[in-house]
Amino acid sequence: MEKKIGVYICKGCGIADAVEVEKLVEVAEKEYKVPVCKTHDILCSPEGLDLIKGDIKGEGVNAVLIVACSPRAKHQEFSFNGTVVERANIRELVAWTQPPKEEETQALAEDYVRMGIVRTQNSDLPEPYLLEQPSKDILVIGGGITGMTSALGVADAGYKVYLVEKGDELGGWASRLHKQLPQRYPFEDLEEPTVKATIERVRSHSNIEVFTSSEIDKISGFPGQFEVEIKTADGLQKRIAGAIVLAAGFRPYDANKLEHLGYGKSPDVITNLQMEEIASKGRITRPSDGREVKRVAFIQCAGSRDPNHLPYCSSYCCLTSLKQASYVRRLNPDAMAYIIYKDMRTPGQYELFYKKMQDDPGVMLTKGEVTGVDVSGGSLYVSVKDTLLGGDVKIEADLVVLAVGMEPNTKVEPEELAKWKKIYDEQLAASGGKPDPNAPLEPHKVPNILKLQYRQGPELPVLDEAYGYTDSNYICFQYETRRTGIYAAGSVRQPMNMLQCIEDAMGAAMKAIQCVEAVANGYSVHPRAWDQTYPEVNLQKCTSCKRCTEECPFGAIDEDEKGTPYHKMTRCRRCGTCLGACPERVINFKDFNINMIASMLKNVDVPEEGLRLVGLACENDAYPALDAAAIRREKLPPIRFVPVRCLGNLNLAWIADALSKGIDGVILLGCKFGENYQCHFVRGSELAKERLGKLQETLGRLMLEPERVELVQLSISDYDKLPQILDDYVEKMEEFEPNPFKEF
Amino acid sequence: MAEQVIRPDLDFVKGVIAAGGDTLKRCYQCATCSVVCNVTPDNNPFPRKEMVWAQWGLKEKFIGNPDVWLCHQCNDCTAYCPRGAKPGEVLGAIRKQTIAQYSSPKFLVNIVNDRKYLPLLFIIPALILALAANFDIPSGKIVFTNMFPVHTIQIIFIPALAFGVIVGLLGIKKFWQDMKQRYGCPDCTTTNLKNSVIEALKEILPHSKFKNCGVNKDRYTSHLLVFYSFVSLAIATSFGVLYIDILGKHSPFRFGYGTPVKLFGLIGAIGLLIGIILMIKNRYANAPKVGLGSYFDWLLIGIISVIAASGILSWLTRLAGIAILAYPIYFIHLVFVFSLFVYLPFSKLAHLFYRTTAMVFNKYSGRDRAQAEG
Repeated sequence: MEKKIGVYICKGCGIADAVEVEKLVEVAEKEYKVPVCKTHDILCSPEGLDLIKGDIKGEGVNAVLIVACSPRAKHQEFSFNGTVVERANIRELVAWTQPPKEEETQALAEDYVRMGIVRTQNSDLPEPYLLEQPSKDILVIGGGITGMTSALGVADAGYKVYLVEKGDELGGWASRLHKQLPQRYPFEDLEEPTVKATIERVRSHSNIEVFTSSEIDKISGFPGQFEVEIKTADGLQKRIAGAIVLAAGFRPYDANKLEHLGYGKSPDVITNLQMEEIASKGRITRPSDGREVKRVAFIQCAGSRDPNHLPYCSSYCCLTSLKQASYVRRLNPDAMAYIIYKDMRTPGQYELFYKKMQDDPGVMLTKGEVTGVDVSGGSLYVSVKDTLLGGDVKIEADLVVLAVGMEPNTKVEPEELAKWKKIYDEQLAASGGKPDPNAPLEPHKVPNILKLQYRQGPELPVLDEAYGYTDSNYICFQYETRRTGIYAAGSVRQPMNMLQCIEDAMGAAMKAIQCVEAVANGYSVHPRAWDQTYPEVNLQKCTSCKRCTEECPFGAIDEDEKGTPYHKMTRCRRCGTCLGACPERVINFKDFNINMIASMLKNVDVPEEGLRLVGLACENDAYPALDAAAIRREKLPPIRFVPVRCLGNLNLAWIADALSKGIDGVILLGCKFGENYQCHFVRGSELAKERLGKLQETLGRLMLEPERVELVQLSISDYDKLPQILDDYVEKMEEFEPNPFKEF
Repeated sequence: MAEQVIRPDLDFVKGVIAAGGDTLKRCYQCATCSVVCNVTPDNNPFPRKEMVWAQWGLKEKFIGNPDVWLCHQCNDCTAYCPRGAKPGEVLGAIRKQTIAQYSSPKFLVNIVNDRKYLPLLFIIPALILALAANFDIPSGKIVFTNMFPVHTIQIIFIPALAFGVIVGLLGIKKFWQDMKQRYGCPDCTTTNLKNSVIEALKEILPHSKFKNCGVNKDRYTSHLLVFYSFVSLAIATSFGVLYIDILGKHSPFRFGYGTPVKLFGLIGAIGLLIGIILMIKNRYANAPKVGLGSYFDWLLIGIISVIAASGILSWLTRLAGIAILAYPIYFIHLVFVFSLFVYLPFSKLAHLFYRTTAMVFNKYSGRDRAQAEG
């Protein structure tokens, strides 16, 4: 279809005070021969919008460039169905951040118009990618409180659920509790466990198919079409699911490792789990002699917040001990509960329960570090140093309860990993073959729960600092994992108590529903949930170099026997990392492609005198930070910024194009990478950095200083630091000779 | 230091709670109290540690513990406590427990401390006085000796006061021994003791500690007024004892208003009334920040208020010649004075024994220097 472009320039919000709008019209009409170019005092007003709509209808305009505010503003107003809409941001990046009515300011605005027109010329409407028969069923792994809550959430919303539980009963740890913590205001009194009712509801729900004593045998496919094989007592069952909730839960920390706290020294040193069992009998007695106890000492952080055991806080243990102190007091009013803590941590509204329990005369609390537990004459003595009571003390007790923490079931123990490594090494030695890049040498490459048939390994990746919890804590999308369509919920994600698990389960259930709906309608999921474009590959020019398959952070690209890549499109999150990876520039999106950005950069007007700098800014953090700086009316240097989906889009061709055009430098604004990465697409800016490494040599050959291209890692909250960062960069560029390519 | 073995006593915890320390368990040991306290020593300060000891029912920590008495219940701690644990009130409750612990007979401890015995507290003295009183009063000029001849008063009140003082002294003797046993007294000498008493009096007489209070700084005036009014009344009474019992003369009070004895009496009476009214006013003014106080506090305030009010009213009604009011009011006055004497070592007034003793011991043993120097 022939494109008819309309350019609409807004004069509002200070734009007309900063630049001469008529000259912008001239750029569009004279330089680019745009058939329709109009201005309006307030373009987002109903009259302004009517102007555009009138042209779409009457003049046949089918591609619109809005020269006004940031693309992050007024999105709803500037959406015209069936029409390509692009934006040139001269409000935030010009009117609000540049000195008004100056030559440089005008030149900047004109460049934004030029780049905007080129962008519009290269942009097309999306044609959604649709699966033939997308499944909207959801697989939930784990039949504990989290899994059951997720399953019910999904099933109540009308979707079919396959619930897979390893044990022979549903309920998980929750079904082993004597009482449960209060789950609603005023958070004061213990409740009878509600898990039985939940199990009942799951069992009788027509939308839920339960598999107990079952495990996942393998999962292949992709969102909308996960092929799930379940190993059940009755043999292998196959189901197709659209999305997956992973709620595999936790295991208590192994108390046998807690000898220093007396575990194993006496049967009267027990874990909090054993305490639940004892309390269920209605009387708290000692395992050793069956005598009713009067003094129960609770040792908090038993194994948690201990560099030799679990370095993190397990989050639920303080509350559990307070709950069990309540058992002690209720079952015998003369009995006392002593709680020795590092810090009492009762997240959220549970502070109210803490206060309630603290008010009990027979619940005694002190901070202190337990140095040992001794048995003498039928009593236990807990030695504690650094107490609030003053000095080192020994607390005499009848029963000692270790508040053991939790480990996620997703964690692969080092011993387990070592076992796999040994087998692999032996096989490798025997076969004499090449090392396998997908060998089970990392935790997520050891088959454990999901057993995904992904080239990135069978399980969800785990960060070193996450101690076995799934890497799902994207700052903005907590349930997301690095595998699209698989959502982690509950204590595989982070240590949490039952109430938090229930909340988490509902969140993950909703994300799973969102995913199957998005897939069915050809949308991406988070973070580009509005996006119907997808990477299209011109396979004729593909050299099967495999860079895209290797760099795709979501396992969305695989290759066939001949080595030709193909996308498993519903795994794709449309980040465009592949677009940046491809040396042949054959991967493109309808509204975002190599040629588009290259042309934009090439259309920046480069005068013979004076500095010209461009910047590529990540749309997720860096570009919003620029907007935020503009809202604060910070003064920014006149760098021409181009928003990109992710710095992982960076294709070296762009830099080459910009520099050969005579642009003096390119600044790349991306997200923080490394262990605590903040990239929505995991490794975008890191990959950009790697690619830049390869560029250095080329720049040297062109007699250009490598420092002209600089990558800055920042987060959205660094908007206040941006002016300084940019000024420093400009200052550095001013020290260089002008780009010698200006003359060509 | 050898590890001490912790054996909590639940009854002690319950006792402190029942004695007005019902907020005890809320403390989460942030130590804001010890930081804001202006009367605590810099080193090893109270009341943070006392709070956790009491929470844990470590009653032995309170045997011979002078610190709880160094607290003047300014209640700055209570006002600033982020958890509403009211350390000032809790320490008051602990002091009450100390008083109970050192005083005997125990049945008197119990009836003074228990709200439900309140009527009994005054009915018994009233009965005793009623038995001794002469209700066959001739009409005409109101003369209180018609109802209670001087010797009747002497026979009843001198033993009452003596009882109170002796029980109190026995209590502080035990307290002193406990403190000595707990902290030792390496360089204690008689000279040192004399100096310590003088040093303590130098703090008590000008009420210098009270001046350090923040939230409750107005109490300096009211407590000073009540304190010196009692001194003034004691001086007036001593004149009476001097004239009647030692010199064998008539009561000095009939000499008229210009004489010193009358002046001491009148100033004392009016001062006491104003002082106690100010005290009540302060309590209400500070109630939003620190609460109104315990039964134990109000019992003493009540007794003193009635004594002051009935003393002045009996005087006024006597001058006005309203016999039908004057005699009953005087009777009430005597009942409450008797109560004050007898309950002296059991009520909150016992603080004059224990706080003074604690202050003297702290200086005598050198603890205060050690605490200040760290």
